[in-house]
Amino acid sequence: MAIRAILALALWELVGRLALVAGGALPAPSAIAIRFWADRGDYPMHVWATMQGAGIGFLIGNLVAVLAGVLFAVSPVAARLARGVNIAIFALPAIAIAPILTLMTTGMTPRVILAALGCYFVTMTATVTGITQADARMRDVIRAYGGGRLASLRLVELRSAVPQILGALRIAAPAAVLGSILAEFGGGGRFGLGAYLIGSLGRADPARLWGIGLAATVLAGVGYAVFAMIAARVTASTVAVTVAATPPAGDAPRPLWQRAALAAGSVLLPFAVWWGLIAASGAPAMIAKTPMALVDYLMLPNKAGERILDALAQTLPITAVGIALGLGFAFALALGSVLRPGIVRAFMPVALVTQTMPLVALTPLLVLIFGRGPSVILWITVSVTFFPAFVTMAQGLQMVARSALDVPRAYGASPWTVLRLVSIPASAPYVFAALRLAVPRALLGVMTAEWLATGTGLGNLLNQSRGYLDYGMIWTVAVLSVLLSVFFYQVVVWIERRVLARLGMTTAA
Amino acid sequence: MTLSLDRRLFLGLAGAAALMPMRGRAATPFAFQASWINDAEFAGYFLAADNGYYTAEGLDLTYLSGGPDVIPESTLITGRADLTLTTPDTTIKAITEQGAPFKIIGAQYQKNPLGIVSLAKAPINEPKDLIGKTLAVPPVNVISVEAMLAANGITRNQLTIVPYAYDPTPLIRGEIDASVDFTTNVPYTIKLAGEEATSFLLYDHGYTVFNDTVVVTEDVLASRRGELVAFLRASRKGWEENLVDPAKYPPTWADTWFAGTGREIDNEVFFNTAQKPLIEAEGGIFAMSEDAIAANIEALAKVGIAATRDHFDTTLLEEI
Repeated sequence: MAIRAILALALWELVGRLALVAGGALPAPSAIAIRFWADRGDYPMHVWATMQGAGIGFLIGNLVAVLAGVLFAVSPVAARLARGVNIAIFALPAIAIAPILTLMTTGMTPRVILAALGCYFVTMTATVTGITQADARMRDVIRAYGGGRLASLRLVELRSAVPQILGALRIAAPAAVLGSILAEFGGGGRFGLGAYLIGSLGRADPARLWGIGLAATVLAGVGYAVFAMIAARVTASTVAVTVAATPPAGDAPRPLWQRAALAAGSVLLPFAVWWGLIAASGAPAMIAKTPMALVDYLMLPNKAGERILDALAQTLPITAVGIALGLGFAFALALGSVLRPGIVRAFMPVALVTQTMPLVALTPLLVLIFGRGPSVILWITVSVTFFPAFVTMAQGLQMVARSALDVPRAYGASPWTVLRLVSIPASAPYVFAALRLAVPRALLGVMTAEWLATGTGLGNLLNQSRGYLDYGMIWTVAVLSVLLSVFFYQVVVWIERRVLARLGMTTAA
Repeated sequence: MTLSLDRRLFLGLAGAAALMPMRGRAATPFAFQASWINDAEFAGYFLAADNGYYTAEGLDLTYLSGGPDVIPESTLITGRADLTLTTPDTTIKAITEQGAPFKIIGAQYQKNPLGIVSLAKAPINEPKDLIGKTLAVPPVNVISVEAMLAANGITRNQLTIVPYAYDPTPLIRGEIDASVDFTTNVPYTIKLAGEEATSFLLYDHGYTVFNDTVVVTEDVLASRRGELVAFLRASRKGWEENLVDPAKYPPTWADTWFAGTGREIDNEVFFNTAQKPLIEAEGGIFAMSEDAIAANIEALAKVGIAATRDHFDTTLLEEI
């Protein structure tokens, strides 16, 4: 492992020294380190500011998530009603709502909100899972001794949920760091790694951009490691690292009218929340658009509808191709990892960097390598969708029952045959879980690339509307991208249910 | 709450107590939103704040830094700032198309520093040279560039326009042929990277508009006129003093205003020197002469922005 890391570093150094990639825009590690040392005075204040935003957001987001998780576990009706809100939070592309947050709030608030949103879904689902999977026999003990629902919750269920919640916090910590950095791009504060990155973009100094990006990666990694350590200490048990992509179902057989009412409520609730937040913020109507105000805006004779359709026609096809490529690549590599486990270890560091390196820092490099055509959009999209999809699918493949694998082996089947007959069919639930994860990320990747590199599609429309103070359009694009993500999510869920039902399988987290 | 966090940060980390808004007796709070990160573009305001010119005018100034993703006009609408600096094209477009209640009460740059920057080894010396080339434009400035192209009889599809993220690397590497940036700033960076830059101002090729126009809402104009004049007076004093010797003050701000921006002080001196002829005005700093206003209106009309004399209010300048 250590040898492999040293080899990779040496290769990188060579590539950087000889200016092999993008005419030298990929700096050598030594150049990055030298730059970092020269800039060392700048880092503490920026790192500290990012940690503040991420830390406060982490606390708030997880607190809300645990409370919500308990509520959803106790009350299936609440879970069903909140499904729309939960999916919306899961699917919302941060790039689309960051401009709105920075319009409506100020100072640390946008950072805290984006960091909190990044934590919420993982921790909420983990809490629900932890509580619902509590040992039924222990619940019975409490009940037998006359304990009520609360006593059972306090003594059994919350305790049994602790390992799950700690597992989620590991994933939430880097998410909070990334959320804070993203909000810093548009927040206008002086300090924070995101602010530093934006300020440094004009320096034509790739070594510094990489230094900042790697500092962000380290910060995210430390967040992960701290909670991984706590989890190991507290529970001494292993929990899956996969990111949950399913909101709590909370279903029980109900009359049709009740189900219909709950479904309608679940669809309407996000809009009600949107409306309520705007009313509560007291922001002026010119900036803060309610759902009705957006409808009015789209009715204006300003060709808004036409521009949106043009942008969609550019964004949607490439998003679909990006998802297909990202998932295809992830699936191929996951299969490869079954045949040769070493592949996973070799790929992990690269994949991790592409996950935590802010896209704003990575995009200029990719532009220099791939130009500004559709290929750069595809590369960015693949790089953001690949990693979570790969982790999810690789885990699925590893969880195939040994006994199922042993049957064909006993009959002398080759590894390929085993893969084809057992592993691939068994991984179907994980492919769908990966697809659900990939959709919102793909949209995020495409829009970022359009914004920074190609000047096309929804990403460019969003950016240009900000320049022109076209608040109606900013909101329209933001809402549209969330609706698109939710829509695709629902389509995946719909197909998944049918396919898995035919295969006699259940949904993977 | 957010403000107190920011202040603690300043104190604890930058050790920059000097950055705390000056608290005079009975001073009136006044929030100023800058249009970019802390660089020499705002030297006059830094000097006025450090020397207590705002305090002397009875203002308790809160200075809000900007950045590439901060749209200054938005902070006026949300009431976070009383006054800001903008590009006149977006401001007037917002007034005429969305009924935004803005008034332009002064102009920092008599000549817009925005220009077409290219490498000396593949120079773009005039608008016609852009035909068939790839030009990177910040999305906010697309209208300005379209205006300049129109004034020179070039249509948009005669060149390729891509987004510009204020990173000169693509230009230095030859991935794009030219970019739209502040000519007061980016040539220094390019030189540092070992290339020679050449540039021309959009202003000199038909796009005769101001930049960093001083903008307020009609509400603030009506209710805080005294403070606005006080701000203009103190800022003018800061700018005049700063421009006497552009190399003098930037080095003194290395650990305060410029802390953490990641830019060299030499760069700020270059900027401060280059911007001097663009800022200085016959009628005093921030002046808007009738001729200049007419030139602005004419240039904006070419891109369909219906600016009128009403959008400019020169009466506060007369009161300084």
